[in-house]
Amino acid sequence: VQAASLKERNHFGGIFRDHVVDTRQYLDHVRQSTAGTQGRPVKLFANHFRVTSRPQQITYKYNIDYMPDIEDRQVRSELLLQHKAIIRKCYIFDGTSLLLPHKLRSPKMELVSLLRKQVVKVTIEFTSELMPTSPDCLRYYNILFRRILKMMELEQVGRNYYNNLISHLMCSICRLVIWPGYVTSILEYETSITLCADVNHKLFRMQTAYDLISDIRDGFPTKQELQEQVSKRLVGSVVSTMYNNKTYRVDAINWEETPRTTFKTSDGAEITFVEYYKTQRYDQVVTELNQPLLISKGKWQKSKQDTPHEPILLVPQLCNLTGLTDELRKNYRVMRDLALHMRLDPEKRQHELRKLMNTIQTNKEIQRELQLWDLKFDGSLLSFSGRILKEVRIFQGRRVFDSHPQFADWTKETRSGPLLNVKSLDHWLILYPTGYYRAASSFLQSLRRVTPTMGIAMKEAKMLQVSHSVQSYTTTLENHASSKTQMVVCVLSSEKKELYDSIKQYLCVSCPIPSQCVIARTLDKPQTLLTIATNIAQQMNCKMGGALWKVETGLQNAMFIGIDCFHDTVNQQKSIAGFVSSINQELTQWFSQCIFQKSGQELVNGLKACLEAALKLWCKHNLFLPQAIIVYRDGVGDGQLQALLDYEVPQIESSLKSVVKLTFIVVKKRINTRFFVESEGRLRNPLPGTVIDVEVTKRQWYDFFIVSQSVKDGTVTPTHYNVIHDTVRFTPDRIQHLTYRLCHMYYNLAGVIRVPAPCHYAHKLAYLVGQSIHQEPHHSLASRLFYL
Amino acid sequence: MEHCEVLSKKVIEFKPPVYEQRYYFVKNLVNQHGHKKIADLGFGDATLLWMLKYHRCVQYLVGVDIAAKPFEWGGGRLSPGVGSYIIPRELDLTITLYRGSAVQKDSRLCGFDLITCIELIEHLDSEDLAKFPEVVFGYFSPGMVVISTPNSEFNPLFPASTFRDPDHRFEWNRKQFQMWALDVAKLYHYSVEFSGVGDPPAGAEHVGYCTQIGVFQKNSTKPTELSISEPEEHVYEVVYTTSYPSLQQSKYFRFTLSIEAVKAIDLMKSRFLRGPRRKEGDRVVPLGSCTPQHGLTEAQRAEIEQSPKPYSVGEKFYVPLERLLAYPKVNRLVAGSTEKLRTVLAEGLRLNGDQTAVQVELVDYHTQRLFDEHLVSPALES
Repeated sequence: VQAASLKERNHFGGIFRDHVVDTRQYLDHVRQSTAGTQGRPVKLFANHFRVTSRPQQITYKYNIDYMPDIEDRQVRSELLLQHKAIIRKCYIFDGTSLLLPHKLRSPKMELVSLLRKQVVKVTIEFTSELMPTSPDCLRYYNILFRRILKMMELEQVGRNYYNNLISHLMCSICRLVIWPGYVTSILEYETSITLCADVNHKLFRMQTAYDLISDIRDGFPTKQELQEQVSKRLVGSVVSTMYNNKTYRVDAINWEETPRTTFKTSDGAEITFVEYYKTQRYDQVVTELNQPLLISKGKWQKSKQDTPHEPILLVPQLCNLTGLTDELRKNYRVMRDLALHMRLDPEKRQHELRKLMNTIQTNKEIQRELQLWDLKFDGSLLSFSGRILKEVRIFQGRRVFDSHPQFADWTKETRSGPLLNVKSLDHWLILYPTGYYRAASSFLQSLRRVTPTMGIAMKEAKMLQVSHSVQSYTTTLENHASSKTQMVVCVLSSEKKELYDSIKQYLCVSCPIPSQCVIARTLDKPQTLLTIATNIAQQMNCKMGGALWKVETGLQNAMFIGIDCFHDTVNQQKSIAGFVSSINQELTQWFSQCIFQKSGQELVNGLKACLEAALKLWCKHNLFLPQAIIVYRDGVGDGQLQALLDYEVPQIESSLKSVVKLTFIVVKKRINTRFFVESEGRLRNPLPGTVIDVEVTKRQWYDFFIVSQSVKDGTVTPTHYNVIHDTVRFTPDRIQHLTYRLCHMYYNLAGVIRVPAPCHYAHKLAYLVGQSIHQEPHHSLASRLFYL
Repeated sequence: MEHCEVLSKKVIEFKPPVYEQRYYFVKNLVNQHGHKKIADLGFGDATLLWMLKYHRCVQYLVGVDIAAKPFEWGGGRLSPGVGSYIIPRELDLTITLYRGSAVQKDSRLCGFDLITCIELIEHLDSEDLAKFPEVVFGYFSPGMVVISTPNSEFNPLFPASTFRDPDHRFEWNRKQFQMWALDVAKLYHYSVEFSGVGDPPAGAEHVGYCTQIGVFQKNSTKPTELSISEPEEHVYEVVYTTSYPSLQQSKYFRFTLSIEAVKAIDLMKSRFLRGPRRKEGDRVVPLGSCTPQHGLTEAQRAEIEQSPKPYSVGEKFYVPLERLLAYPKVNRLVAGSTEKLRTVLAEGLRLNGDQTAVQVELVDYHTQRLFDEHLVSPALES
């Protein structure tokens, strides 16, 4: 309860901290404007509603103290509201401070409230006057709005949603319930304050943790197998206790105790879990007495990782599972059906947003609350002009082509001729499990058919049969892999993570050879086999150091760096930062390093060493130092902008000779802002290459959005770029073009991706290391895209 | 700081706190009697109402408080959350909060099974106290009334010798309370039993409980039909009202039944795929049991075993409705009616030709895992 209430109090902290950081003040070259001019103008809409009216007077902020201290936010609020006569109707309380439109009689008031007949001293002390433009004010409006939203969601659930819920459930998504809601924020942008609103779904599974445990038990596992399998599938997942609508993350399973075990309640009485749930509180019947208990250590928070707190014990039978499992995620049909319900296309999204706005504008209670603060919103979507950048030319050997403007894709083109830089396959192995010879050999045949067009010279592979065990794969590799071996292809009979992890561990660390794992099932369908073989051949070519295509960046002697992080919050292991830097001018070769950090730590500490190694390699290749370094930094959490400026940027600068210029760009994928274009009377996704640098960008930042990728269904998510340091002095047009071009350089997809290629490489690297190999990959692989 | 220390000296610590003991006292009564309609006069922060909403038997919960405020109750812990929709209650539940006084008549409070007045009467001035019995016992006339009030004999154990709350108009000793209560009971045909919560510390047993409680039970067993003759009186102002989803409402019933059926089918299917089976004509039938080993008693398992077995034909898996009906949860929901089960399942699932079995895909995402683990494919290939 404590962790939850504190978290709520700081909910908006992060975004607000970032929004007050003025990074533009140091960027002389964009003092006039951060907007570009090139490209074809296009009229856009955003999921923002302009705030048309808000308090224009000074408001007063008071600090609230409780004696004795009260933790529960709800109780804090109730105790304060016992003095409504003093506070009056119009107030916003965030748990520790109070915002009022009027001044209280005296700057410090000590009041007495009663909590169940016991006296609690409530001290209201004046802290500051807030100007109407103060960012702190906005924080309070957000709190107010969240209160309103909560009211509304409940109402809507009751009214509209339940009918849909049943239809959702009855299709093939069986046992999944989609719970719709909204996410909103009121923030200040370029010229106005807006309410950004988006539709946000939660997923509940109609399955309890106990159902899952009995399902596993039903396969007659040994005790150890049972415990392993249950842990594997439950630990790290989020469960929801329906009787009180709370969610917990499962951190461990307690096999020693059962619901019959007693525990001490807050008043010291011993009581069993069964009795507690039945008589003490919720009238919940625990029928299964032979179940373990789930342990939750409470909400995981970066700042609180060291503070110990009492773990919470939960009865599996009373815990519903939430979210998607990996199995579900892999299931094409389920995902397609889910997407149908959850991925709203622009038109449907707009419809939902209008419904929200309509409720806000018409609901009497909401209006009463908003009027107290003189808050009004424009009822229509914010509209402004964006620009579509010119298509990017793709160079593949002697062939040059444009990407398809609608789909941002050049799969066909890239397949019909030789690749940019090919590596021949002379010495390579294919490992296949017993019973899969046919799959392996038909795969090999298909490779033989597709490689000549790509220009890849391929010699016969050594075909090696293995059993299904991890051991068998590794011993076979030990016996057959040599220093000459360029590539190992492993056919896997199933998507078993252990097997994949062990193979990758072995081939990335102990015996560094580029490798390619293929699930046998994907080789099953003759009609798609050629396509799959083509993709795999391209991927193998890249893993061996080849290149597929290139684009012109128009920038000479610049080194590009992508950084992203992987946090293993489940196993509380270290976090891994991927650091990927370009080696050559064409940006076809990349140097990959990782940095291991303590769990949950976001800021990269070992940057300096990585950068020095990266510079050294660049120098070796190009015979001189780069003139400029452009860093794309992904994986930054809310509220860390200032820390980047204070630590990361200086750390990088300190290792650069003063002649090397630095541009540091923060990349954000998880944002709630969406853009739409209107055509033929309907809202649609903007075309790939659409840039937005007005209205919804910030005055204090040199920032812009790019919609780079194209999506088949749903609404495209733009990527936000924030140039926080720039001694290269890029004009908006140049940095936007450059960034967009880099999104064309990811070798696992003949299309445009959401982020610049080095960012995505860094992501893939960090993910592979964090999920599978858990240690530093062998340095001999570092200049190849072995993790692709 | 100083203030705090004074506080801690003042208070004799009760475990659990006395206010909680009072609420549990009420909860126990509700458990014993299975009250359906309950009203709490002077509901305060609504903690008691919140604790009572979890009782299965309760279908109407009403709170009356003179200080009830409209807006603050929007939502809050009395409102149904996601969980109440996903796992609906068995019986309907409506919660209504009124602003009003315990000495005002409002016909909407008539006909209740239980009315609680926890630490209420000591806040009434003598005029209101005089009106109180006529309103609560005479007019509302519920099956049971619970009245709790401080026992002044206990007060010397507290450092301060004044009333426990500045708003208290009086604090009675046991004799005073019991005399008042017996008079009231006699006048309105109730019988009363006295009890209390908050045990006195060792050595001071003679002072009695910290809180004294009177439980009044109406003498006539039949509900009085007096209220019909009285005119409708709506004095209280509704400040909040909500109703909970329940199995009594068709859509939630259909939802819950479907979930239970699908759960049972999935379990059957995974046992079917894992176990040995034989081809009989175009059907593949299980050789072993398809009944889950957990969550059922021996008798329930035997019952299921006796019902028609599930089978597969090609890529489809069929579960006879009779089989589903043998599952206790499903059975209870439809009260043993195949027809009811058929009607509901036909809305969302596919039934076979003669409408006697549910047809689902043999392999879906739930069972895919089994294939991955190599438990099944060799068996199927042969």
